[in-house]
Amino acid sequence: MKSKWFVRAVLLPAVILFATFMVFPIVSGLVIAMFDYNPLRSENSFIGLSNFIKLFHDATFIKSLKNTLTFVFVTVALNITVCLFLSTLISSLRWGRLRSLFRVLFFMPCVAPLVASSTVWRGLYSPKYGLINNFMESVLHIPAINWLGTPAFVMPAIILFTLWADMGYNIILFSAGMDGIPSDFYEAAEMDGTNAIKKFFFITLPLLGRTMSFVVAMTLISHFQMFAQFQVLAGRTGGPNQAGNVLTYYIYKTAFQAKDMGYASAIAIALFVIIMIVTLIQQRASRVDWGY
Amino acid sequence: MGKQIAALTILIAVSVFVVMPYVWMLLTSFRTTREIMQSPGRMFPIDWTWSGYVTVITKSPFFSWFVNSMIVSISVTAAVLFTSTLVGYVFSKFKFRGKTALFWLLLATMMVPYQIMMIPQFLIINEIHIYDTLLALIVPELVTAFGIYLCRQFCDEIPDSLCEAAVIDGAGPFKIYGMVILPLLRPCMGALAIFTFLEVWNEYLKPLIMLNEVKRMTLPLALAFFSDAHSRDIGAIMSASAMIMLPATVLLLVLQKQFIRGIAITGMK
Repeated sequence: MKSKWFVRAVLLPAVILFATFMVFPIVSGLVIAMFDYNPLRSENSFIGLSNFIKLFHDATFIKSLKNTLTFVFVTVALNITVCLFLSTLISSLRWGRLRSLFRVLFFMPCVAPLVASSTVWRGLYSPKYGLINNFMESVLHIPAINWLGTPAFVMPAIILFTLWADMGYNIILFSAGMDGIPSDFYEAAEMDGTNAIKKFFFITLPLLGRTMSFVVAMTLISHFQMFAQFQVLAGRTGGPNQAGNVLTYYIYKTAFQAKDMGYASAIAIALFVIIMIVTLIQQRASRVDWGY
Repeated sequence: MGKQIAALTILIAVSVFVVMPYVWMLLTSFRTTREIMQSPGRMFPIDWTWSGYVTVITKSPFFSWFVNSMIVSISVTAAVLFTSTLVGYVFSKFKFRGKTALFWLLLATMMVPYQIMMIPQFLIINEIHIYDTLLALIVPELVTAFGIYLCRQFCDEIPDSLCEAAVIDGAGPFKIYGMVILPLLRPCMGALAIFTFLEVWNEYLKPLIMLNEVKRMTLPLALAFFSDAHSRDIGAIMSASAMIMLPATVLLLVLQKQFIRGIAITGMK
């Protein structure tokens, strides 16, 4: 169809809003990174690439970069493995009601605000009254651990929380993918007497390729950008010995507490570049060029 | 049969892990902080009390926070539904110059992490004098790339012949939008509405940047503030957490089918 006035009437306001709050901020984010920019100062000087060079000598940046990468890769790997396993179990249930019950149950944490659920988990991790330490002491007879106060345990604690909070999405996506695999493959395999483990590795996993590639990419991208649980669980200082400091949190603190917005933008661009590189490698590695 | 039982056992064990934090939160919310400190190993309250909830309601503007969250979530959801379907329809059914370029620009912005644009967005919000108002959370979200993309995908599945037939009957573009497109986009709109609402309702970083005054906060930001201000009162913190987690959880349990279908729809596109 063609209708100049209608297209203009719809797109003009939409484009203005989109340009003002999306495109322009992205472009100016790149520009601000080349300034020594503090909103409280009246003059901010152009410093070229100095902010980017500074990154390489900034111990906090390097520490939070390492923490971010550890967090993302460990959490995503665990998430995908656990979700694949659980969705296979759910799909194997014969009673449809039970299948949807488990899917909804596992999805429950996904709808809660991360701040609220991490606040609850901060309580669970408490060395004094927390459920996890109580369980360890009374059932497993392991002495209580100050999870969020010990450098070695902060990140594992945040990873466990994030798994709990975020599994539901991927379980539902994997389940939808598994439901889409034609059942003749499984029937043929059963006639050959294949066991469940072989069926998973030789039918389900390869035929899930497209879903898998999508799910891994989305999970990677979203985990790089997580923020709330780090502030709540690692605390305002980035945790003991900065062990829970990640790039998103470092960017927030640099921009809005130190008011060094130029440098914060440079870190944000570094984060963007890292996400792009990781996603590109992942997409290359999991290319699927077939269908069924 | 044995395999079914094994699968069920594992799934029930994982369910306990998933549900436990909720149970602990609720039980703790009905205990006084003094009782928690005196018998930290107990899980069940000795004396059930509403005192935590009373603290939340009397010592904080909880009602204002709830209303703020409602105002922001409902207005953004309504606006996103309207703009996404309308712009998606234009991209799908109309020919105009620069269409492909504009659409690619839209998609490209989806790749950029919020951390890059949040600083300039904050400066713009300041510049147009809506910092520390709910408008700061609403105005930048009126048009979203994801919504437009999703609605365009669904519009593409509506046959052009339907629109052409309407044109022959003398319908204008806006009438076609109302009579032909919108009714057929309903499943997509349901999913988009649920996810937009949840995302805005749960958003933490944006309010953290854009709001300052206590009574103007939305719930997630308010909870962070509340648990800092009452950091010693565990019972009250758990009560506040429960009150904030409840609405979305109830929404999920009531609309389970729409949720599950919605994820599959939006995730697979």
